[in-house]
Amino acid sequence: MRICLSFIVTIWLSMASLGLADEALTFERDIRPLLKVHCLDCHGATAEVKGQLDLRLRRFMIAGGDSGPAVEPGNPEGSLLLQRLRDGEMPPGDKKMSLEEIQTIEQWILAGAATARDEPERLDPGLSITPEEREFWSFQPLVRPSTPALDQADRLRTPIDAFILAKLRENGLDFSADADDLTLLMRAHFDLLGLPPSPGEVDAYLSDQSADKYEKLIETLLASPRYGERWARHWLDVAGYADTEGAAPADADRPWAYKYRDYVIKSLNEDKPFNVFLEEQLAGDELVPQPHKNLSEEQIEKLVATGYLRMAGDGTGSGANTQEGQNQTISDTLKIVSTSLLGLSVGCAQCHDHRYDPISQADYYQLRAIFEPAFNPSQWRTPPERLLSLYTDQEHAAAAEIEAEAQVIAAERGELQAKFIEEELEKELTKYAAGLRDQLRDAYHTADDKRTDQQKQLLMENPAVNISGGTLYQYNQASADKLKEYDARIAEVRAKKPVHEYIRTLAEIPGQAPATHLFYRGDFKQPQQEVAPADLTIASKPGERMEIAANSEEMPTTGRRLAYARWLFNGSHPLVGRVLVNRIWMHHMGRGIVGTPADFGSLGLRPSHPELLDWLAVEFAESGWSLKHLHRQIMLSTVYRQSSQSDPAKVVLDASNQWYWRKPVLRLDAEAIYDRLLAVSGALEHKLYGPPTPIEADDTGQTVVAGDSKRRGVYVKVKRTQPVALLKSFDAPVMEVNCDCRPSSTVATQSLMLMNSGFILNQARAFAERLRREAGAAPTPEVAFDSSQLTDPKVAWQFGYGHYDAEQQKLAGFTPLPYWTGSAWQGGEELPSPDLGWVTLYADGGHPGDAQHSPIRRWVAPAAGTVRLTGKLSHGSDNGDGVCAHIVSDRLGLIAEWVAFNNQLDTAVEGIEVQAGDSLDLVVDCRNSVTSDSFAWEVALTLTSAEGQQQNWSSRTDFHGPRTALPPLPQQIVYAWQLAYGRPPTEAELSTALSFVVEQFRALIAGSSASSDVDPSLQVMENLCQVLMSSNEFLYVD
Amino acid sequence: MIHHQSRREFLANNAMGVGGVALAWLLQQDQLPARPASVSDGPRVFDMKPKSTHFAPRANAMISMFMHGGPSHMDLMDPKPELTKYDGTEYSGDVQFSFVNRASKTLMGSPWKFGPRGQCGTEISELLPHLAEIVDDVCVVRSMHTGFNGHEVSIRFWHGGIPATLGRPTLGSWITYALGSESQDLPAYMVLTDPGGHPVDGVNNWTNGWMPPLYQGTVLRPTEPRILNLQPPAHLKGKLQQQNLALLDQLNRQHLQRHPGESDLEARIASYELAARMQVAAAEALDISDETESTLKMYGIDRPETKEYGTRCLLARRLVERGVRFVQLFMGGQPWDHHNSIKTNLPAVCLRTDQPAAALVLDLKQRGLLDSTIVHWGGEIGRLHVTENQGDPSKAGRDHNGQGFSAWFAGGGIRGGMTFGETDEFGHRAVVDRITPNDIQATVLHQFGLDHTELSFHYNSREQHLTDGRECRVVSEILNNPTKSLAPAV
Repeated sequence: MRICLSFIVTIWLSMASLGLADEALTFERDIRPLLKVHCLDCHGATAEVKGQLDLRLRRFMIAGGDSGPAVEPGNPEGSLLLQRLRDGEMPPGDKKMSLEEIQTIEQWILAGAATARDEPERLDPGLSITPEEREFWSFQPLVRPSTPALDQADRLRTPIDAFILAKLRENGLDFSADADDLTLLMRAHFDLLGLPPSPGEVDAYLSDQSADKYEKLIETLLASPRYGERWARHWLDVAGYADTEGAAPADADRPWAYKYRDYVIKSLNEDKPFNVFLEEQLAGDELVPQPHKNLSEEQIEKLVATGYLRMAGDGTGSGANTQEGQNQTISDTLKIVSTSLLGLSVGCAQCHDHRYDPISQADYYQLRAIFEPAFNPSQWRTPPERLLSLYTDQEHAAAAEIEAEAQVIAAERGELQAKFIEEELEKELTKYAAGLRDQLRDAYHTADDKRTDQQKQLLMENPAVNISGGTLYQYNQASADKLKEYDARIAEVRAKKPVHEYIRTLAEIPGQAPATHLFYRGDFKQPQQEVAPADLTIASKPGERMEIAANSEEMPTTGRRLAYARWLFNGSHPLVGRVLVNRIWMHHMGRGIVGTPADFGSLGLRPSHPELLDWLAVEFAESGWSLKHLHRQIMLSTVYRQSSQSDPAKVVLDASNQWYWRKPVLRLDAEAIYDRLLAVSGALEHKLYGPPTPIEADDTGQTVVAGDSKRRGVYVKVKRTQPVALLKSFDAPVMEVNCDCRPSSTVATQSLMLMNSGFILNQARAFAERLRREAGAAPTPEVAFDSSQLTDPKVAWQFGYGHYDAEQQKLAGFTPLPYWTGSAWQGGEELPSPDLGWVTLYADGGHPGDAQHSPIRRWVAPAAGTVRLTGKLSHGSDNGDGVCAHIVSDRLGLIAEWVAFNNQLDTAVEGIEVQAGDSLDLVVDCRNSVTSDSFAWEVALTLTSAEGQQQNWSSRTDFHGPRTALPPLPQQIVYAWQLAYGRPPTEAELSTALSFVVEQFRALIAGSSASSDVDPSLQVMENLCQVLMSSNEFLYVD
Repeated sequence: MIHHQSRREFLANNAMGVGGVALAWLLQQDQLPARPASVSDGPRVFDMKPKSTHFAPRANAMISMFMHGGPSHMDLMDPKPELTKYDGTEYSGDVQFSFVNRASKTLMGSPWKFGPRGQCGTEISELLPHLAEIVDDVCVVRSMHTGFNGHEVSIRFWHGGIPATLGRPTLGSWITYALGSESQDLPAYMVLTDPGGHPVDGVNNWTNGWMPPLYQGTVLRPTEPRILNLQPPAHLKGKLQQQNLALLDQLNRQHLQRHPGESDLEARIASYELAARMQVAAAEALDISDETESTLKMYGIDRPETKEYGTRCLLARRLVERGVRFVQLFMGGQPWDHHNSIKTNLPAVCLRTDQPAAALVLDLKQRGLLDSTIVHWGGEIGRLHVTENQGDPSKAGRDHNGQGFSAWFAGGGIRGGMTFGETDEFGHRAVVDRITPNDIQATVLHQFGLDHTELSFHYNSREQHLTDGRECRVVSEILNNPTKSLAPAV
C-alpha cells in the first residue's frame, strides 16, 4: 500500500500547546499562531487594521483599538479580546475559534500574557516571519548530518542503514532478516521497471552464485529502457501530465503533449542530472538562442521540457478564453511547481497570507512574477497559439507553395460564402418592414468599427440579422454543406505539405515583461501593488531573500525562470532537495520520510527520520543530482533488502512500521497492474515513445484502451474527462491539477473488474494460449497425473472427406478437412474451395462436394462395446437429386445407408460391435449431381460396454475445431506459476491446481452446451490463469 | 472531516474479519497517549463502513431525479400572470442568449393553465397533474440560480460545487464518503441512466473526482449488463465462476498465511466476497416481479409512455429500501432542452416523467421512507421568458436561462406544501431568496447531519469542501424544525 498521510487542521495547534501545559504559554509560540489563523487577516496583515486594533504584538493588544484595550494581563474577564471570542462575535463568519483555543488564550492572559522575549521596537507593516516560524524544521539550512556510529557492521551496507538502525534501536527494534533472492528480484523489478522478471531472468538470477549478483541486478535494471517508462510515471503524476486540456467542457486534445512524456522517459533513462532536468523544464526556452527556428535535436529537447509548465489545465483554446480561465491556468501551474518542488501549499497564499506557514500573499505573487512574462496574460496565447512549429525554413517554403494553392480555393470559398450570407440576409430581411429593412441592411454592411451607435443598437435588437460564416448553417444547411465541400478540397491540398510537427512549450517572447500585481483577495479584477520576482522569503536566511533581476542583461528574455531554476538547484535550497528525495524514498518504501510529500509546512507531518532526509538531500546534490545514484543508495541498503515478514513482537512496538523494521508489502499501482497483466499474457509490446495509445468506450460505455495496442500503461492516453476504467479503478489519478501521492484503495469494483471485465478475460485467454505454446520447455514436475481424466469426448470425432466406394462397400480414404472457419470445416478459406469444392461440415450437417469429396464425420471408439446410433437425416430442396448417407465401419464395411431428397427420415442402427480404435464413418455423398445438396444429419451415439456401462456422444454438440497436441497439464501449470508469480507452484499448490482443473473440466463437459468452439481444456486453463492474475500474490509485491 | 467511529466500534462492527495481529494492533493503538482525535498518524483508510454525523441527521438517503436540459419553469411550477398578460410584446430588459440567430425579445406567456393544488394551494401547471397530487409533501423552490446559461457549466455546479470546474467529486461522492454505506452488499451511490444514452457531460455526472474510486457512482444501466462487470460472461456463469472464486480464495488465504496480519490483503479477500454478495443482492434488488400490480400501476409501469421512467423510479425506491444512500436518475441527452416546439415537446416529456416522479414520493410515503429520504426533482437551468424563433410560430421554443428557475424537493425533513423564493414578474431572474446549487448542497448535507464547512477531504495539500468556501447557506426556511436538527448528536 502506498501511504499518504493526511491530517486535519482544526485543533492541532491548540492541542499541541495544551500538551505543553507545564511550560508557561508565550505569545510567540502559543498565541500568535492562533491569532494568525483567525484574526490577523484584518488585525495586522495589512497596513490598515480594522477598528484600529493591531494584534501582532502583545503591547499592541494592550494598547487596544477603537473599543479600548484588548488584553489586560492577568485579568481574562476584563480582556475585551476574550469576551469577543467567547461571545462568538469575533471572528466574524462561520469559522469560530474552538473552545480549546479560547481556553489557551484565557490561560495565557491569566498567567500574565507572557512573551518569549522583548518585543521589537518597531514593526514593518504586514506579518513578518517570526523566529518561531523560522525554527520550523523544513526551513533549516541543509547540512550533511554525521552518520551514526554503530556496531553490527554486517547490516550497515550504506549510510542510510546507520540512520535507520539508530532509530530502530532507540525504539527497541532491529532490522528484519534479508529477504530471499526471489523476493529481492521481484521487488527490484517492479520497483525499477514496473514489470515482472521473465522465467529466464528468474532462473539466471537464482542460479547465479556470485556474491555481488544483487548489485549487478540493480545495475542491469537501471540500464533498462523500461526503467525510464516506470519512473517517468511517478514524475508525470506530480507534473499533472494529461493528453487533454481540461478546464473547459470540450476537454480538447493536446496532440503534442506526449513529446513531454517522452522527454521525461528519455531524461530518466539517461540519468540526466536532476538540476539540468528541472532547469530545462523550468526554463528550457531560455537555454535556446532566439529565434526558435531551425532547431537542433538538443534544442528541441530543451523546448519540449518546458511542457512541464504547460501541463496545467488550459481551456483557453477550447471555449474558455476568459481572464478567469487564463489566471486559473497560471495558478494551477504555480500549484504544480510548488507541490512538486517546494512541498508547500503555496496556493493558500493566493488570497491572503498563509494561515499556518510563513508565506505571505506578496510571496505568492512574487513567485508568480517569475512565470508571468512567459504566460503574459496581457497578451494571452491559447494552447494552439503556443505550439511551436518544428518546420525548418526549407519546409516552410515548401509548405508556403502548397498553401498558395490552397488559398486559391479558399478565395473562391470566401466569395461563395459572402454570396450565401447575402442571400440569407435578404431572406431574413423580408421579415422586417421596408424602412427598417434598409436600415438593417446598411448597418449589417457597415464595417464593425464604422457603425453608428444607432446601427449597433439596431443590430443588437435584431440579433437574427447577424449572420456569419459560423452561423450560416443555422439558416441554410445546404449552403453550409456546399462550403464544407470547399473545406474538404482545401484540406486535401494542404495534406500534401511536409509533415508538420509541433511541440507544446512555454516560451517567453523577448521584450514582453508584463508587471505582476498582487491581487486583492486573489481576485484578478482587483490588482494592487506591483511586485518583483523572488523566491519565497522563508527559503532564505533572514535578510538574504533571493530576489531575481526583473530583466537579465545576458539574454533577450527576462531570464527569471532560468535564474530561479539555478537558485533552486544550487544545493542549499532548504526545500527542493528534501522534497525530491522524500518522494523517491516514498516510491521505494511505500511511504515518505515525510508522510505528506507535498506539504512540508506546519500542517504536514514531521519527518520520521529528519537526519536521513537531510543526508539523502545532500547526497543527491553532491552526487551531481543523479537519480540513479540515489536508487543505488536506497536499494543497496539493508533497510530496503529486508524481508516483508511481519513479526508479532515488533508489531507491538511499532505497528505501523514507521521505523522500517521490515519492508512493507505494497500493492502495485494501476499501470504496473496493467503492464503485468500484459507481460504475463505475453501480449506486451515494447516500443519507446510516440503518440498516446487511443482509448474508446466499449459496448457498455466503459472507457477502455482501443484496438489491440498492447503498449505499456504509461502510453495510454490520459483524457481528463474519460479515464480508462481499469486504471482509474486502481487509483490512477484523475488529473484535476496534479497528483502528489496516490491512495491505494481496495474496493469491490476492482474485484468485479478482475472477475468479469473483457480486458482481464482476454488477457487470461492469451495467457492460457501462451502456456500451450511455450510450456513444453518448462520443467516437468514429478507428479502422478492421469491425463485421461481430461479426455474430451469430443476428440472421439474427426472431420474429413473421401470417396465412398459403393462396389466395395468401403471407404476409399479419409483426409482431414484442412480449414476451420470458427464454426465449420471446409476445403479452404473460400467456399467452394478451388481444390475440394463444396465439401463442408458444420455442427448440424453439411454439404457434399463431388463424389471424390464426400464429407465424413468419423467417430473412433475409445473402448470396445456395442454401438447404437439414432438420428434424423433431412434434405430440404426439390432441386437436384438429393444426397445419400452411409454408415461405414472400417472393420465391417457398410452398416446402413439412406437416400434423402427433399424429405426427412430416421437413421437408426443398433448392435454394431466395435473394438477400441475402430472407426465408424458417417459419409454423405452427392449422388449424381452436386446441386442443392445441403443436408442436416444429427446423430446420437451410445456405446455400451460389456459390463453395461454407457457413454454418449452427440454429433452436434461434440462438433469442434482443431485440437493440437499440448504440453502435459502439470507442465502448463508449473509454467503458469512461473510466469504469474516468478516461482514454480509448491507441491500443495500443484495438487490444488490439478484438482481444480479436473473438477472444472468435468463441470464443463457435464454442462456442455452449444458452444462448439470452446475447447474445454483451454477454458479451464484460462480460468486458472484468471485466478492467478487476480490473486493477491499478483497484485502485491513483498 | 467526519469523526470516524472509535476503533472499538470499528472492530465491533467490522464485517471483514480482521485477523488476530491486526486486531492487536488496533487495540494497541487505542492505548497510545492522547493525541488530537482528528490527527491521523496512520495510513489513510477509505471504507464504506457507516460513520457518524456531525449532528443528528434528518435524512439517511436521497433520490435525485436530474432533469437534463433545463425544464421550463414558467410552464411547469412558476406561474407568471404578467408574462401571460404581455405575451407577444417586446421585453425591454437585457437578456443573455445562447442561440443568437434565433433570439428574440418577444415575451412568451405560458400556453398552459396554472391552478392552486392540494391543501397548500401551491400553483402547478396543468402539465403536471400528478405533481399536483403530492404537492402537500413538496417544497417548490422558485428562485434557483446558477448565474450561467450553459448546460455543462451549471451541471458541474450542481454536482461538484463549482461552476464549470471539472474533476471534482459529486454530491453523491461526498455523502458516501462522509457516511459510508448502510448496505453490506450494494454500492452506496448508484446512478440510473437512461436507455437514450448518457446525459450531457457523460460520466462526469457521477465522478468521484479526486476522491478514491470507492466514492464513484455505480451505474445501473437500462439494459444488460445492468451493472458493469457485475455478472460473469456467459461461459463463466454459475458453477464455473464459483469454482474460480473458491480457488482464488484458497490461494489468497495461503498467501495471507505467509503474510500474517497484513490487513490490506485481508481487505482484498473481503472485497471479493463483497463482489460475490453484490452479484446476488443486485439481482434481487432489480427483480421487480414481487411488486404488486397496484404498485406497478401507480408508477405507470403498465403504460408504454411511463413504463421506462416508472421502472427506474421504482428501482430507486427498491435501492433506498435496501440501504443505498444516494440514487440519482439521469435523462439521456437533454429532453428538457426545448429550444423548439415547446408546445408539443414539453407535454411529451412531462407525460413521461410526471406520474413516475409523483408515484415515487407517494410510495416512499406509504412505506414510511419519505421522512428519511430526500427527493429532488430539477434540471441544471431553466428557460427564458422570451421566444426563441424557429420560423413557424408553432415551433417556437425557449432558450437557456441560468438566472432563475425552479426545482422541487420532498421528504428527508424538507417542509412540504410550500414554495420558496421568487423570480421576477416574467420568470427571468431569481429576485427573492435567490438559491444556488451551493445552498442546496449545504442544505442536503445538513439534512444528512453534516456541516458543509466541516466536511472536508484532504487533497492538493488542503482541506477541500463540496461548497469550496463559496458563499452559501443552509436554507432553513424550507426545513421542518430546523433548529431541532442542529442539536448535536447524542
